[in-house]
Amino acid sequence: MGEQAEKKPKAKEVMKQLTKDYYGGALRAHEENKYVAYTTAVSPVELFYAHDIIPIYPENHSVMCLTGRMMPRLSLEIEKRGYTSHLCAYARSDLGYREVGESPIGGIPDPDFLLACNAQCFTLTKWFQVLSRRYGVPVFVFDTPQYIRKDEARKNIIKYVEHQLAEMIEALEELTGRKFDHDRLREVLGYSTEASKLYREFLDLASIKPSPISIFDALIHMAIIVYLRGTKEAVDYYRLLIDEIKEEKVSKGIGVIPNERFRLYWENLPIWFKFRDHSDFLAAHDAVILTSLYAHAWSYDFDVSNPLGTLAENYTSVFSNVELEDRAERAIELFRRYSLNGNIMFMNRSCKAVTFGVLELKDMIIKETGIPALLFESDMGDPRFYSEVQIRTRLEAYLETLDRMGIG
Amino acid sequence: MNRPVLEELLSIARDPCPMLKAWRRKGEKRKIIGSTLTDVPEELIHAAGMLPFTILGTNKSILRASAHLPDNACSQARSDLEMVLTYQGDFFDGYILPQVDDTTQHLSDIWRRQVRWDYFETFLLPRQIDRPSARQWLLDETLRLKRSLESFTGKEISEGRLWESIGIYNQNRGYLRRLYEMKRRHPDFISNRQFFDLIKSSMWWPKEEHNGLLERFISGLEETDLMGKEGEGIRVVLSGIVWEPPEIMDILDQSGLKVVGDDLCVGWRYIDPDVEANGDPVKAIVDRHFKKGPFTPIYDKGNKIFENLLNLVTRNTAEGVIYLHIKFNESQDYDLPDLIENMEGEGIPIFVVETEYQTTHLAGIRTRIQAFGESLAQK
Ligand code: SF4
Ligand code: SF4
Repeated sequence: MGEQAEKKPKAKEVMKQLTKDYYGGALRAHEENKYVAYTTAVSPVELFYAHDIIPIYPENHSVMCLTGRMMPRLSLEIEKRGYTSHLCAYARSDLGYREVGESPIGGIPDPDFLLACNAQCFTLTKWFQVLSRRYGVPVFVFDTPQYIRKDEARKNIIKYVEHQLAEMIEALEELTGRKFDHDRLREVLGYSTEASKLYREFLDLASIKPSPISIFDALIHMAIIVYLRGTKEAVDYYRLLIDEIKEEKVSKGIGVIPNERFRLYWENLPIWFKFRDHSDFLAAHDAVILTSLYAHAWSYDFDVSNPLGTLAENYTSVFSNVELEDRAERAIELFRRYSLNGNIMFMNRSCKAVTFGVLELKDMIIKETGIPALLFESDMGDPRFYSEVQIRTRLEAYLETLDRMGIG
Repeated sequence: MNRPVLEELLSIARDPCPMLKAWRRKGEKRKIIGSTLTDVPEELIHAAGMLPFTILGTNKSILRASAHLPDNACSQARSDLEMVLTYQGDFFDGYILPQVDDTTQHLSDIWRRQVRWDYFETFLLPRQIDRPSARQWLLDETLRLKRSLESFTGKEISEGRLWESIGIYNQNRGYLRRLYEMKRRHPDFISNRQFFDLIKSSMWWPKEEHNGLLERFISGLEETDLMGKEGEGIRVVLSGIVWEPPEIMDILDQSGLKVVGDDLCVGWRYIDPDVEANGDPVKAIVDRHFKKGPFTPIYDKGNKIFENLLNLVTRNTAEGVIYLHIKFNESQDYDLPDLIENMEGEGIPIFVVETEYQTTHLAGIRTRIQAFGESLAQK
């Protein structure tokens, strides 16, 4: 995998620069009299870009802390303050960072405004409330009721969410004292639409056999759609990335691993501090994880002609906010589209929002695909809840099972 | 004091099912609709000609629910699921599951798939109540619930019927608040366990019957039941969602702690306020929702949980707070460190008890609560 990363320096370099500029700009924001809003990875961030507010994603910063193996130290700091170790590792790492001030990138600026969209999870709304008290700044709970499969409910839900978008626009006008520019929103949304399409195209490269990308690539390149969607840079970036992969891999029939037998689905978020190890370990067994519903959470399908309506619909219907049947259907669709033949289901102690349905989901997916699943419990960020030996043994045993079944 | 009536009410709180079954045998035809905590507008179910019943889990071991809901989900959700899967699945005709957080959202998906039912609805409560959108949303959602109930029964819920139900529910809340007031003034007139069991029995028993029982109990009270006890005991405020396992309340009683205020979903939040009887009845029900005390998963501007708790302590001249924390309840997990700091900043002692529905080792909890009580007494 390391090798493959070096073969496409261009997109990687661009990403590095974009990230540097983004965080640099954010850190200078207050000096430049700009506002900083914290927001959740799934949220109508287009409103911030349209209103010239710099969005910051504490989750992203937490990912850097987790991959930098700063857990459990950060967690222990806030456990001392009375927070429990079974909260989401992102939240623990973030609250810990605020106590000790240590960060792999020199920190993130303090917020002027907080937006918590609960389509992604409920945790964030509570975590941001803690921050809101800490900094004495408003928190806007952007409430997206579960997008249940009933027409009347859906109609009302979209109406409610649109109403909140209007309320948020008012809140932003109040914060900045500036009028919101709806034309600018259309422009931003145009970029989001384009970037989302390209992002999906990038993810879908994994449907090619052998696959030129693994979920490892998806997770690395996901960062841009998360924090720069709504900008032209994001659009250009994914164009560049796709061209590069097509040129270097697809056109030559080169796969991400040399001998691809097992094309795996991964349920849940990655175990951040172990993901590279997992990929290497699997590659040695001719297996590669190709996709996950999690990575697809940012492949939105916007309709630029109806900005508020389309934002409402897209952000409400993310996989973590639909009924289990819908979520299973989306996963099963990925099995078909990507010709997957294995299923690793990670029960993530950190993320209740994604995990509490997994036991049920497992049966639903097995029933449809006939492919056995490996289910295991651990934590995406806290090594105290991770058992190396046990997980490796189970992965090996699982691949042997697939082998015995003549899969791959 | 009318002891037999009190005993009857308390026996409902011990286990309502045999009695409800007996009620059915006596010819009760109404369907029973179970709903989990909290804030389902029971008046609507009642007006639809059915019997609302609040599902409050089981204290028995979790056996079947574990296959569906992971062990780090709160025991409230797991016990509710366990109860319907194992014990009383046949008892209910339908369910309404309110949603407030990730746990309730998943619970409702699992329930819909794993439990047998003739009727199932989720009730999508607003998770913010600080903006106008929440009110409109709850109105739309309540109207949807109304139509859904109507289509299940095939009968329209008329305004008249709904007002009638609201009247019955208001009356019930009124009786319970009156008793609470008596308990506040004369903390020894009824034990904590007995009083909160009265509220529990109200969540489990047909309201018109319950009103009759409460009325007989109240009218049977004599002056000697209330006199001469003012100011006795150590006055505390109880905070949280539920008081489980029930032995917790016995421990408070045995430790000489008198509950004079609370913000529990199975306490004050259930009995206050009334639905105001004017205008449109559905709107009136929705209005009531926004006047209730704070509830941890629901966001409201400011630091409402703390402000409300502080107010409860001051208003009721309590000496401290006992906070009942359900293990794995994330909302409470996030609230607690700041809440403790804020309360202590006000000089108000707060003691947190972490329990689960299945907590059986109560000796340690008892010792610590007693120690807290003693420290309050010495103040
Ligand atoms: S609980 Fe899950 S969705 Fe929420 S912040 Fe944590 S990992 Fe993300
Ligand atoms: S976590 Fe808390 S609010 Fe959520 S279902 Fe459990 S007890 Fe209720």
